[in-house]
Amino acid sequence: MEHYLVAMGVTAGIYALMALGMNVIWGMAGLINLGLVGFFAVGAYTSGILTLKFGWPILAGIAAGTLVASLFGVFVALITVRLRGDYLAIVTLGFAETMRIIMSNELWIANGTDGLSGIPGPFRQALGPHAFNLQFLAIVIVAVAILFVLLQRLTRSPFGRVLRGIREDEQVVQVAGKNVVMFKVKAFAVGTAALGLSGALYGHFTSYIAPDLFAPLLTLYIKLSLLSGGLGNNVGAVVGAVLVVFFLESTRFVIPYVPELSAVQGAALREILIAVALLLILRIRARGLIPEKVGDFPLPEPTRASQPLKP
Amino acid sequence: MKGLNRRKVLKLAAATAAVGTMPVRAYAQAEPLRVGILTPLTGAGGNDGPRMLKAMQAVFEEVNKAGGVLGRRIETVVEDDQTNPEAAVRAARKLIEVNKVPVILGTWASAVTAAVAPVCWESKTFLMTVSGADTITLLPHQGFLIRTQPNSKLQATSHGEFVASLGSKRVAVIGIQAPFALPTKEHLDTLLKAKGGAVVSHVIYEKDKTTYRSEIDQAMRSNPDFLYLNGYAPDTVVLLRDLYRANINLGKFCQSYAVPQATLDTMPPEVSEGVMTGQPSADVESTAYRSACARLGVKEIDGYEAQATDWASLTVLTIAKAKEASGVALKENVRKISQGSGEKVYNAIDGLKAIAAGKEINYEGASGPCDFTDIGDISGCRFRYMKVAKGKLEFLKLV
Repeated sequence: MEHYLVAMGVTAGIYALMALGMNVIWGMAGLINLGLVGFFAVGAYTSGILTLKFGWPILAGIAAGTLVASLFGVFVALITVRLRGDYLAIVTLGFAETMRIIMSNELWIANGTDGLSGIPGPFRQALGPHAFNLQFLAIVIVAVAILFVLLQRLTRSPFGRVLRGIREDEQVVQVAGKNVVMFKVKAFAVGTAALGLSGALYGHFTSYIAPDLFAPLLTLYIKLSLLSGGLGNNVGAVVGAVLVVFFLESTRFVIPYVPELSAVQGAALREILIAVALLLILRIRARGLIPEKVGDFPLPEPTRASQPLKP
Repeated sequence: MKGLNRRKVLKLAAATAAVGTMPVRAYAQAEPLRVGILTPLTGAGGNDGPRMLKAMQAVFEEVNKAGGVLGRRIETVVEDDQTNPEAAVRAARKLIEVNKVPVILGTWASAVTAAVAPVCWESKTFLMTVSGADTITLLPHQGFLIRTQPNSKLQATSHGEFVASLGSKRVAVIGIQAPFALPTKEHLDTLLKAKGGAVVSHVIYEKDKTTYRSEIDQAMRSNPDFLYLNGYAPDTVVLLRDLYRANINLGKFCQSYAVPQATLDTMPPEVSEGVMTGQPSADVESTAYRSACARLGVKEIDGYEAQATDWASLTVLTIAKAKEASGVALKENVRKISQGSGEKVYNAIDGLKAIAAGKEINYEGASGPCDFTDIGDISGCRFRYMKVAKGKLEFLKLV
């Protein structure tokens, strides 16, 4: 049981990394990015190919995966600069599907639908499966902690304030003299870097990646993480990711106790439960379990120029 | 507090009721022997997984009725792989680490098998699959994997000979994008060229489309005289309907799992008329196939149901032979009951009797002789060809 919990802990950590990355783009800047798995795939494939085919060290592979995913993020941000809301969502969803179809059909890049297997993991052979998972849990926790602290600083910085401004009203921010396009691109760059990082870590953890992995299912799980945890705040992103993995896994243990249910119906019920959970959260706690506290962010001290004039 | 009490009472009532329904048998005291089943119940494989599950459970039920194996009842722990490698790995870890199953049966998509296989071999758990990608058995699985699906060379060679025997020279291949797509086309082409024919066009399509009319038109441009449809049931149904609408009356061949009887029943008979199917099979006189049909109460079973039947039987027989239910025991003993010069048995019950009598056995399954090479591929098998007439599958020949 404890080995299983460790493995699920790693999964939750990787989900949390994705949720944190998604939170920058969607939660803070308000840009709906449904292409999450696309960037996850870019990170996973970049690191997988570099370490497997070119013998790069794992750390260098992960760094490259993060960077390349970020570059893709910049590219997607630039081509979608004029899009907002549903239109942006559709284009980014299209980006993820395009990545999946390219990886399926261009066999020379990474074996097409066969996928890449045997991606190295740090000390995988030496440690054996259980110690390896434990080690990976430590790596993922450290990664989540570092990213969390960095993003927390970003949230409280003027940069984070501008992103929230763009989310609330793009025009007002523009009037305030900010370069909105630049900020959007930067938000994408930061968020997709985190997605790339999580993809690279996932590849090194499971040792196998294939285009089928990058189906929209994962995007929906992360979206659910953010909505349940609380959109727009980093604590909510992490809590939501852990909650979603807990929910997905715990239903396995509960459903066999539902009487008169075949395995097929049980599997369908699991999917229904996930949909119901999402609906309930949106109905009862539309802002998530830990809502974003806007008043929490320090405003600059009023300067003399902004003091009201005394009569 | 009140709600909690009510819930507790309900739970207790349910538990008491469950205890009451437990069969009181001699072996009920022994810890049941848990077997992991990981088939797609939702997602793209949701069409095939439930059929395979049913076939496996039918075998285990029969074995339990006859007294179980090693004096223990077999209990299946079923998880849904969601036809997604990420979800499948989570499910496999649960089966291995929590339920401690020695064997996992039923992965379907090649990507799912390739993702689950490392988890299995690292924790010394045996895996049986239908995934057809040639690369699956080339993984460093240390013997912890077998597959009952013939690899693409075995399949394409037999299918090619069948197509050539119909007198077709110009074959168009329309297939789903999958690891077996390209190798199948190449083996088919090699064989047909030797017989004076050729694959004249090869169109790959994406799954989940609502129409494949443009793919059909693309294939028809090369003026074929036969169509080889290499997909799964959901897309093959769309293809067949589009072919009917386009009034294309060429010979058509599909994998048996793409048009099982259940799928045929959802189509008007004129759409499926004349479709030919092929599936790996044992000798025509073998009782394994017929007894599997009888067990499931159907006239003909498809290749997946046959293979699922064989996994369940192989699992039971290997455990009985090894006198131990562990992944290592399965790996080391599966070939001792599946091949060799022992007495031929065609189902789990007869096999168990023979093992109890101290005989060597050679299991001949519903999907073929079930003889495995060192890397876990089946070493050779026959193919059962069928043709659809008036919406029903009819036996054509065994090659």
